Amino acid sequence: MAKRAREKSDVDGREEKRQRSSSVDRFSGLSDELILRVFSCLPVSQLVVCERLSHKYRSLAGDGQLWKEHYYNRFVRPRASRLPGLKDSRTTDGRLSFASKASRWLDDEHLVGQGVRTDWKKQYKLRHNWTSGSCAVNEIEVAEQPAVPPVLVQMHNGVIYMADRADGLRAWTAKGERKILAQLNFPADCSSQPPTTLAVDTQCADSGIQRVIVGFQDGAFGIFELQLAGGTRFVHLFSHEQSSSGVLSTVALSWPYAVTMTATQRLSLYRFSQPKPGPRHNILDPPRLLHSLKSHTVWPPLSTSLRAATGTITITIAYALPTYLSGWTVGIQEVKVASTGTFLESRLASAVDQHYRPLAFAVPPMLSHLVAPAGGSLATSTTLELRHIHSKPTSLSYTHPYLLVSHPDNTLTLYLVTSTNDTLSISAGNRLWGHTSSVSGAHVGGRGKAVSVSKRGDELRVWELEGGFASSAARKRLASGDISVQIRPESTTARDALPQAGLDLVNRSLSRSSKRARHSQGPTDEPELTLTRGWIGFDEENVVVLKEHSQGRQALVVYDFT
Amino acid sequence: MSEGEQQVKLVSSDNVEILTERKIAERSMLIKNMIEDLGAPGEEAIPIMNVSEAVLRKVLEWCAHHKNDPTPTQDDDADSRKKTTDIEDWDQKFMQVDQEMLFEIILAANYMDIKALLDVGCKTVANMIKSKSPEEIRKTFNIQNDFTPEEEEQIRRENEWAEDR
Repeated sequence: MAKRAREKSDVDGREEKRQRSSSVDRFSGLSDELILRVFSCLPVSQLVVCERLSHKYRSLAGDGQLWKEHYYNRFVRPRASRLPGLKDSRTTDGRLSFASKASRWLDDEHLVGQGVRTDWKKQYKLRHNWTSGSCAVNEIEVAEQPAVPPVLVQMHNGVIYMADRADGLRAWTAKGERKILAQLNFPADCSSQPPTTLAVDTQCADSGIQRVIVGFQDGAFGIFELQLAGGTRFVHLFSHEQSSSGVLSTVALSWPYAVTMTATQRLSLYRFSQPKPGPRHNILDPPRLLHSLKSHTVWPPLSTSLRAATGTITITIAYALPTYLSGWTVGIQEVKVASTGTFLESRLASAVDQHYRPLAFAVPPMLSHLVAPAGGSLATSTTLELRHIHSKPTSLSYTHPYLLVSHPDNTLTLYLVTSTNDTLSISAGNRLWGHTSSVSGAHVGGRGKAVSVSKRGDELRVWELEGGFASSAARKRLASGDISVQIRPESTTARDALPQAGLDLVNRSLSRSSKRARHSQGPTDEPELTLTRGWIGFDEENVVVLKEHSQGRQALVVYDFT
Repeated sequence: MSEGEQQVKLVSSDNVEILTERKIAERSMLIKNMIEDLGAPGEEAIPIMNVSEAVLRKVLEWCAHHKNDPTPTQDDDADSRKKTTDIEDWDQKFMQVDQEMLFEIILAANYMDIKALLDVGCKTVANMIKSKSPEEIRKTFNIQNDFTPEEEEQIRRENEWAEDR
């Protein structure tokens, strides 16, 4: 009421202007449209100051169009100019980047359209935090006892999946109040052995369900469905009995197809028949084994993916490859199988074939082996480093076209994969520097955003790898080292004050987390021994790392960028 | 006599007639459209209902200085304004007026549809806001604070991430 009266007096003030000019709020007398026009000239840092003026200005300075403009100018347009083909069309029409076509190219279509009102300020803040690496840290305790083998983790669409022998299959939400969504012990007919591999069907079209596949030590595997609608719960869909081929090392699921790969490198492709209509909790019919292959060249760490198109199924396996003279590189195998099970084609590529150039300092491992004992005390840090360069990668992540490998020598290598109808090839690797300690895990996403974690879990970096390093501008960025930013957890008091009802997690910064660990476990616990086994995942808003404290306690650490 | 040197007669809100060149007056899209609709410029006076004589003369002074600027196309609105608050020297001097006149010019430019002048006005106001604290901004414009200190502090904390460091 008081507010309205004030606005009216402003209008009066303008009409009988001359008398009261010094005490009249002429700025507030402008229409909202004109105030927004003024605000559109201001940088983000000043917009947030204007929010503090009054209620009226708070809502105006938070206007979606203002923030959308800032979002596009800072995050979308620079990328548009990096992507070939978009640049030219952009100059003819400056507003193209707002159009749906560009949004689709830039993979931002989830922000515009779909009838959803986007909170552009929130989106801006999210991207801003990614760029500067600032985030809040939460820990979720997942196991008091050391699990052997370690807890398996995957993340998709804001849900974190975990599988281990004691607690079965669990799902956590990664958004908001990180709480457990569903839990299911592995059914008796599934397997008594510990799970060894876990995968989520990332291509599921139905938003109400997500399917996961779990592989076990005895070669058995199970398919589970997480129903999100109407009381989130896991439903056991199918169990495949144990097999003589042994431990499953990796699995992939793209409904109705599933792929398993054993440690002895036997690859099997299955197809499930569609469930009959009616009650859904029936166990599915056993799947048909479509094809089985055995490989002699594929080494872990590896990553399988499954793409189902009409008529054909493509299985892609990216793997580490030992080479005779220069240590390790990567290879990729693509297997195409018809939906009827007929083997169509298999292609192989590795990062050495055409582009192989030995590095200037690359001493063949065999040679350094011979030299080292003879040299004795001459085994300096340099030779140590050399041996590391040739050691096996610690992790491998493949999201077409990016193939990212982490090394124990503080670096990562990025390869670009080209897959067309005629060719399959991998570019020469680009080494990424930035970490100051051994890298134990890395994960790359579809837009070339990657996150890596050091072995001790104290150093996380976010990388912008979009487009690779073919262009000179990108090479410059690579050389100047500004392609990655270290994640810096913030220790805000504001966040600590927020209620986190009923959750087994504590808000704290990294440094304080080590303090707490010591506090809760007695003085013998050294926080330096916090290790990461290498699992790391991220989505639009969070990075999740699985950490293991020295006494075997495992915790999921969630880095929240919102 | 060429079309540009034709005279047009404008009438301000306080009923004062002002004669000016057609080319100058047509910096205003409002007047330009009116002249096109009327068909016979110079004969009939054009009423500028919401603008007083003093402000109208000031606006026409700006139009006279910028009469030979290229007319901006309708579409590049978003791009031409950019994120900059740079104002050319002459415009800056022109805008050295009291706040009352400044906001009257903005309102007139908006009403008379003179985009470039509106931008200069908005940028001038934006520059008055820039690198000031909320309290300084309130003082500048006599804005009344309807937040409690706690509420204002809460908003400041929420937006801490966006502050200049």
